[in-house]
Order: sequence, then structure tokens, then C-alpha cells
Amino acid sequence: MREPRAAVIAIASGKGGTGKTTIAAHLALACSRSHKTVLVDLDVEAPDASGYFPKAMLLEEAEPVQIPIPSFLPQRCTGCGLCAKSCRFGAIVALGGVVSLSKELCKGCGRCVSVCPASALEEIKMTVGCTSSFTAGKLGLLEGRMEVGDIRSTAVIEAAKRRATAYDAAIQIRDCPPGVSCSATHSIEGADYVILVAEPTEFSLHDLSAAIKLTKSRGIPTGVVINRDGFGSADIAGFCADKFVPVIGRIAFLRSRAESGASASLWSSDVPFMDEMDKIATTVLESVSRRVLA
Amino acid sequence: MTTVSVASGKGGAGKTSIATALAVSIAAVPGETCTVADCDVDAANGAIALDARERVRFPYFAGPGFTIKASACTACGCCIQACRFDAIRKSIDGQSYAIVPELCERCGACLDTCPSGAVTMYEKQAGEFFVADTAPGPILVYAELEPGEDTSGKLVRVVRDRAGQLASDASVIVVDSAPGIGCPVIASLSGVDLAIIVVEASVSGIRDARRLVDLVRSMKRKAIAIMNKTGLSANMDARARTMLAETGIPLAGEIPFDPVLRATEESGKTWFSIEGEVGDRVMATIEAVGGVISAMRRKESSAVVMKEKL
Repeated sequence: MREPRAAVIAIASGKGGTGKTTIAAHLALACSRSHKTVLVDLDVEAPDASGYFPKAMLLEEAEPVQIPIPSFLPQRCTGCGLCAKSCRFGAIVALGGVVSLSKELCKGCGRCVSVCPASALEEIKMTVGCTSSFTAGKLGLLEGRMEVGDIRSTAVIEAAKRRATAYDAAIQIRDCPPGVSCSATHSIEGADYVILVAEPTEFSLHDLSAAIKLTKSRGIPTGVVINRDGFGSADIAGFCADKFVPVIGRIAFLRSRAESGASASLWSSDVPFMDEMDKIATTVLESVSRRVLA
Repeated sequence: MTTVSVASGKGGAGKTSIATALAVSIAAVPGETCTVADCDVDAANGAIALDARERVRFPYFAGPGFTIKASACTACGCCIQACRFDAIRKSIDGQSYAIVPELCERCGACLDTCPSGAVTMYEKQAGEFFVADTAPGPILVYAELEPGEDTSGKLVRVVRDRAGQLASDASVIVVDSAPGIGCPVIASLSGVDLAIIVVEASVSGIRDARRLVDLVRSMKRKAIAIMNKTGLSANMDARARTMLAETGIPLAGEIPFDPVLRATEESGKTWFSIEGEVGDRVMATIEAVGGVISAMRRKESSAVVMKEKL
């Protein structure tokens, strides 16, 4: 028998600023009315989901995300340079028998430690970010946050994904980073469904194309939500039809929404909008349960 | 050569619109040349805005990846023990292991531990980069990363290097950065003469710009700010101004939220060509940034003259 686990819905987009966080926050809110739901902010470079829930309570102290980095024991090091040769991230340089480490480039793979013939490397922990767990009414909120100046976003994303499972929620909504490279791929990995948020501009259309390519290559069912519908003239729906990707929701552009969106005010009293969120949630959950039961 | 980089933290804050308008305004001055390095390699839109005509393209290789040859794999599990990134999975039949390329950090730990030589290296094209001419004048260097590929920071450096080779000593390079504050953004800001921080006047925009300010400060880059999408909330406008004042980032100008501006996210349109009141406000802001760049260049060239005299 399959372990009961959360339906994982990732909200992503190629282009930034199309409305991922707005839709993730409201979709999570809509889902939390009927299911135990956790909103997971995986946009660890720019985590903004918590901005929609200013009254959310921190459940416990932020948990640091740490990776193991090497530390040299100079008395044992023979300066052979094997560690530098083994490092594929350029984090270790061995020159004239002197070994030095750029710890900000280290990914913590441990290869240098295992190749060292003199046991001159031991691992110490380095903090690259943190995860924080909040509660906002019935909704759980987990935020991943990378430290400023760090580049190891994927370590923070994976840590947040692991911690999110502890919520024991029926639905997990992931707010993903923009783009289609490592941060985005890690964020959608393991999701049952990806909602790509697009807006009707040529910029967004171009980036949506790359995002669809990504979700298709990962074999994850995908639907598109057209945000700021009516705002531009790019034919997102026509493009989606060509790619056999369903448009599962449309959110009309209204200046009033742009205004309250700037303040990250929840649109809970915006009935047509919340109805659309319910509709999107129903569509996605049906698709997910069909697949899980099949 | 003067390099300026447009970044924002938050996506969709207006980086590409501002970077392209700035580049076109510089190139419009007789005798001036400008190169745009579109370093948002995940979502490169500069070519749309500038109506680029590709002149030459180059393959981009990210460096070797690793793969497990199923026929040679004995399913001993050594590789899975060695992998710290949970990037190795058992195949469906349970007879072998496979690497999930999207999760693989390409460290090579699996290669070291495999006793049966089943792990092999491969080199695969991870994207392309292009040099293009544009209708409004600037030369554009841009890239397309294959979706799901790693190493966007490395591709940013490739794009910037190529732009640097093409630009003359006297010209300006405008870098259009990726959103966020991670690896591609650090690569887009490293060594630049000026960081132009676009602050979207919203809760998210201000939060993300604040983190970017910290990054720019830690990298010891000179910075100025542009506020975008103002006029939606007087409170947010005030908070953005306060944040900039508190962090000591000079404000070059404020661009209002106007559907006319967003509607220019189309082929061959930049904010440089917008007319009317909103167009004037955009140009006043762009010219203020242009003024800062000119002043920096004058200082630089007088420093060169001083050096030559010595």
C-alpha cells in the first residue's frame, strides 16, 4: 500500500513577477479551508510568501541549513594537491604545496575528504541559509531563506522540501523561484503537478515556453494560469493549445488588484478571484488524485 | 570601458525594460556605442525588446556531467552512499541505479566509488549564446540555457566576457541581470562599475531589493536605485524611499505603474520610444542614470590621463 502523502503542487514560471507568490498564497488559503495545507516558499533568494501573512506566528526558532565543508589539518597535510584535483567547483587551490579553500564555492560533496591520502581534511558545518516554520490560521507556512552572498540555493531548497514533509499536510503548495535552471528544477522535483503562471506579454510567452519544456522533460503534469488577463496581447492560450498544456485558470487584470497586490494584501474578499482559486484547486487535485489512484 | 548592471532581487520589477531603454538612450548619442549583455540566461527577453538579428551563435558547454551505464551497474549501491545530493535513484526494475541529472551537482563522488566502472562522464551542450545586431543600435550578447541545466552563473560569465571582447574601451556595457540574489546575480554584479537597483514599490519588491542592497554592499559596488511601478500605493512608495534613504542608495527617479509601459513587452519596443507624459517620466529617470554613468566615465578618463602624464 502506498504511504499517504501530501499532494504537492508547485507554482512556477519562467519569467519573474508574473504572480507566482500571489497565486501560491491564495491557492494555499483556498485549499486550507478544506484540507490541511502547507505553503512552502522555495524562492529562497527572494522569499516573499510570508509578506502576505504579516500576522503569521513563528512556530519555533529558524532552523539553520548547513552543509559540510572541509577544514584542513595543516599538521597532516602533505600538500599533494589531490583534494584540489578532485574538486569540480574550483573551491580548493593547491599551489606549491600550500592548499587553500574558498568555502563560499564549496558544495559540500565530500569528495576532497574521501580522496585525501593523509586524512588531513575533516568536515565542519557551514550555514548557507535557514528554514522557518509559521502558522497563519489554519495554514502552515514554511519559508526557506538563503543567506545574502551565498550561491547554494539548492541546499536550502532541498532542506525546506525535507522539512515540509514534517507538516503531515494533505496539500503542499510550493512557491518556486523564477527561471528554468537549478533552483527551479530542484523546486519542481517531486511535485505532482506544476502550475505555470504567465501573463499575456511576449516576454512571458517566451519564458513560458522554456518552463513548459522543463516540466515536460521532468514528466510532471502541467497547467497554465493566465494572470493579468487582458493586460497585453500575447496569445498565451493559443500557445498552450499548441503545446497541449491546459489553461486551468484566468485572472483578469484590474488596477484595484495591482494596488492591493503592491501592499501584499490578501484578496480573500475578492469573490471572483477566490472562486477562480477554488476552480484551479479542484482541477489540479482531480488531476493529481486520478494519477495517484491509477 | 564602463560596465553597469541592472538588478532587482524580485522578478518582473522592470530590469529588462530599464536596461534596454538605458542602452538605447546611450547608443542614440552620436559617437557613443553600447553593448547589452543579457545575463538573465534562464529567461532572456532582451532579444525581443531590441528586435535582435542574430549575427553569430556559439555552443555553450557547462562542463562534464555523470551518468551510470545500466548494463555495467551491479546495483551495489556504493554510488548512492557517496552522493550527498540525493541525485541517484534505483531503476524501476531494481537492477541498476541512475542519476537524476536535474538534481546532480556534478561533483563526481559517484565516479570515485563505483567499483565496476559503470559511472562515466559525458559532455553535453547546455545552451547557446549569441551575438546580435539590434534595430535601435546596441550590440546584444545573450544566451539561452537549456531548461533544467545547471551553471547559469558560468553562462553569465561567458556572456559578459563576450560582451567585453566586443566592446571598445570607450563604450558602455549594460548588463541585464537575473532575478534573485544567487549565483547568476553575483556573476552579473561582480566587478561592475555601477549597480542599478530596480525597486518595485511593493512589499515583495522592497523586501527583495533590501537583500540585493546587502549583496551589492558586500561586493563593494557603487549603486543607484530606480523605483518602478509607483503610484499604486502611497504607503509602498514611501516605504521604498525610506529603505533607500536608510541604506544610502541615491534614487535616480521614479517610474509610475502604467499599463502603457507593460504593453511594451513586445518585439522591437523599448521604453525609449514611449511618448507622452509617462514616456517623459521614464526618460527623465533614464537620463539621470545616464548622467551618473557619464560622470563616472569622465572621472575614469581623467584618471587615465593623469596616469599617462605620470
